Amino acid sequence: MHRLLARQIRQATDESGQVDLTRLGELVSAAYDEGDSDRRRTDRAITLMIDELEQTHQRAEQDLLRAREFLDSIIENIPIAVFAKDAKDSRYVLLNRAGEEYYGMPREEMLGKIPEQIFPEGIARVVSEQDRRVVDSGTPMFLEGHLLEVGVKGHDRVVNSRKLLIRDGNGAPQYLVGVIEDVTERITNQERISHLAHHDALTDLPNRSAFNAELSERLERAQKAPTSFAVLSLDLDRFKEVNDVFGHPVGDMLMRAAAERLAAESDGAFVARIGGDEFMILMPDDVCREEVLGLGERLVEAIGNELAVDDYLSRVGLSVGIALYPDDGADAATLLANADSALYRAKREGRGRVCFFESEMDQELRDRRLLVHDLRQALEQNQLLVYFQPQARMDGEVIGFEALLRWNHPTRGFVPPDQFIPLAEENGLIIEIGEWVLREACREAASWPRPLQVAVNLSPVQFQAGDLEGSIHQILLETGLAPTRLEVEITEGVLIGDFTRALNLLRRLKALGIRIAMDDFGTGYSSLSYLQSFPFDKIKIDRSFISNLEASPQSAEIVRAVLSLAHALNMPVVAEGVETEAQRAFLAREACEEMQGYLIGRPDLIGRYLDLVGVTVERRLYA
Amino acid sequence: MQIQYLHWNAAQGWRGANALREPAQVVLYFGSRDGLADGGRYRELRGLYPDSHIVGCSTGGQIHGDDISDEEIVAVALRFAHTQVRLVHETLESRDASRACGVRLARQVAAADLAGVFVLSDGLNVNGNELIAGITEVLGPDLLVTGGLAGDGTRLEQTLVGADGEPSPNRVAAIGFYGASFRIAHGCAGGWDVFGPRRKVTKSNGSVVAELDGEPPLDLYTRYLGEEEAAAMPSSGLAFPLRIHDEAEPDRQIVRSVFAVDHSTRALTFAADIPEGCTAQLMRANFDSLAAGAGEAGRQARNALSGGIGGDKLAILVSCTGRRKVMGQRTQDELDAVAAELGEDVVRIGFYSYGEIAPPAASGRSELHNQTMTVTMIAEAAV
Repeated sequence: MHRLLARQIRQATDESGQVDLTRLGELVSAAYDEGDSDRRRTDRAITLMIDELEQTHQRAEQDLLRAREFLDSIIENIPIAVFAKDAKDSRYVLLNRAGEEYYGMPREEMLGKIPEQIFPEGIARVVSEQDRRVVDSGTPMFLEGHLLEVGVKGHDRVVNSRKLLIRDGNGAPQYLVGVIEDVTERITNQERISHLAHHDALTDLPNRSAFNAELSERLERAQKAPTSFAVLSLDLDRFKEVNDVFGHPVGDMLMRAAAERLAAESDGAFVARIGGDEFMILMPDDVCREEVLGLGERLVEAIGNELAVDDYLSRVGLSVGIALYPDDGADAATLLANADSALYRAKREGRGRVCFFESEMDQELRDRRLLVHDLRQALEQNQLLVYFQPQARMDGEVIGFEALLRWNHPTRGFVPPDQFIPLAEENGLIIEIGEWVLREACREAASWPRPLQVAVNLSPVQFQAGDLEGSIHQILLETGLAPTRLEVEITEGVLIGDFTRALNLLRRLKALGIRIAMDDFGTGYSSLSYLQSFPFDKIKIDRSFISNLEASPQSAEIVRAVLSLAHALNMPVVAEGVETEAQRAFLAREACEEMQGYLIGRPDLIGRYLDLVGVTVERRLYA
Repeated sequence: MQIQYLHWNAAQGWRGANALREPAQVVLYFGSRDGLADGGRYRELRGLYPDSHIVGCSTGGQIHGDDISDEEIVAVALRFAHTQVRLVHETLESRDASRACGVRLARQVAAADLAGVFVLSDGLNVNGNELIAGITEVLGPDLLVTGGLAGDGTRLEQTLVGADGEPSPNRVAAIGFYGASFRIAHGCAGGWDVFGPRRKVTKSNGSVVAELDGEPPLDLYTRYLGEEEAAAMPSSGLAFPLRIHDEAEPDRQIVRSVFAVDHSTRALTFAADIPEGCTAQLMRANFDSLAAGAGEAGRQARNALSGGIGGDKLAILVSCTGRRKVMGQRTQDELDAVAAELGEDVVRIGFYSYGEIAPPAASGRSELHNQTMTVTMIAEAAV
């Protein structure tokens, strides 16, 4: 009897042993119901579970399909030829679109076939051998930069190709996968980049780094087998003017034309453009001095001929400096420096020349370098000083001072300004120095009890580079000097070059209330158009005319003419270099407004002029 | 140890042989919520055992010997020869306070010679996992803690626990057994099998699961139960517990039963937390597998109990209401299976619960289970 039925009978039996059939029927019926409901639940669960598992399976299949499609589309569209072969017999089982292009045949003609059925005999043998090697060794194969062997792209393409073995789960060789990448463009680009790195973009001549490499190589060779050679340093004369006058596009064309001529003339020599308008030439080994000179002169002549550039006829010149190995230097630095100093001499002696290096040039150049070095330190070590020279009306009343830069070198003593200022202008130090002078002068003037003028000289270089307007503005703010007390003196050099820029700058300075004086008038070009183009507040007549007043009637006439011209233009005139009463009397008669010179006072530290600026010595001491 | 077994029915009141030579130290009793709610049975027991600890709870059916009863109230009175007994209890302020409640209980019961703890807790308002975590946090993982959550038939409305007082909701009680003579052993097994696909718990908050694979879980249960049975949720949902697989604890066997249904959001509340991101798989069982599971629990407990026992042996069976729901009249089969494993010399008492407390296997830290049979054996060593 079923355990449950036995239990049900027991439950339906009373203490006397009577079975309650109704009760038993209820229990049995309920058990049937429980069994039915359990079975229904089970059936239902099984059906649902099968459905759910089926759905899960379908989803998984779809995911798999999508993943496969995704990978297929990537492999198909990757711009690198991809193929796969059966590792056993090299039969192709996969080829992508780039692969079809590479082999020049549709995949239908390759899939399922072995190399011998596809390629010409020689190629098939090479391919099969490579395949065997990769399968047998398990080592990937990489062939870099080889020419295309098969396909329709032509034999001028360069490819990188790889083959590698893929093993199955048990480690047995399964597939050979290969990728073939067309690197023709990349290699061309690499060559182009390398060319650009060693050539000047404008002229396509070798650049400075290529020249240095070539020179090092020459020197290395020369150490092994003694020889001699020449280093030429070349500089185009007046090229900057061409750039200024005609603009850079014309300058560039001119530069290219000049480079072509240099290269054409220097047959067999190494010609490099090392920057701006500078070139270097290395002449072949064992040339004699005369040959070098001959080349130099031919080059000067070739460049000196008119260059016709885009309807402009322009004439530039060439200066050449030559250093010889080993006489003028045994290493690159010395050779280059000596060629440069020869070039410097050539330019200084009037341009359009060819100069060989001579040892005294070396000394001269070294002196200049030393001076520049010292000048750099001068600022840091407070060796620079500002002197003040009084300016007065013709009756002697002092109305202001001109600030003048002095350099008191600890061993050289006072270095003349005409020695160090041009140097400072050449290497740009003048920007910093000029700003320092301006600040010192303004600070000093701001401390004077009497509101006298202070005049400061500005260099043309300050107009071309840096932010002159900004720094003047800043200095006035810092020192608290009223702009109307500041006068800047410029020479016509400021206006030569970028005339418009200089003029705009002057106008803005004048708008601040600063006065502008034209310095050294009468020397140089003294172009009257400058006077017309800008309303100067003052004109300063150069000292050379004043010192000759008594000796030379012409000087007197020039001074009269300048004064009458200035008066006609309503510009006051300051006479510089007034040393004698006679000079003063002459100028007063001619209605010159102001004067400056030893007669009034020589340039000196402001301490000497304290009374003039309104400071008594006592006040100064206890202030 | 001596055991006095007694039971109560409406016709005859309390009946049982007076087998104790000395006053009982503790009396355990189990009954339906309706049978216990008025406090009358507790007061009668207090009259019978004025100096004993009296502890009991409402159930989803009482077990004594081979029988299951919904009407009769069953009890055992225990007298140990050497073992000391302490009863402690706490009120659970809120579900979130479950861990703290466990910690407080454990601190009261803790002592150097503590040898085992049996816990009876409110079955609906507690976070059983947290409660046990609080207890084992204080007592450590090596001390055996077993017990169960009170039940309420298949109504899942209110559960009661009484500890030296009338039974009431939100109560948690723990009996501590002390001394070197005390012997305790346990077994715990289910007999359920997973079926169907694994589902992701895509949205959950504590024990409330809002989405499985992006779908409200009530929809899943409705599909599996059919509309008719689904109307009887949550009790019908006991037929399909969830096996939870948490990546953070891959070795833990976690089974969770449905406890409540929110028909508006179609979310389900389970017996304990189900973290978002873990996977869940439906489980099912048949009569035979459940009975075999119960037998396995009995075998584990019997094997774990050492020899050299003197006096009576008590087995407290705590089985899940969900099992009874599935097995119906065949529930008896699982009691038979346990009895066959334990042997004739063991007194068996117990109840159908809303959660079982025991370590998952023969050893390890105690946890909350659903859908298992747990067997706790208590005895004393022979002197």
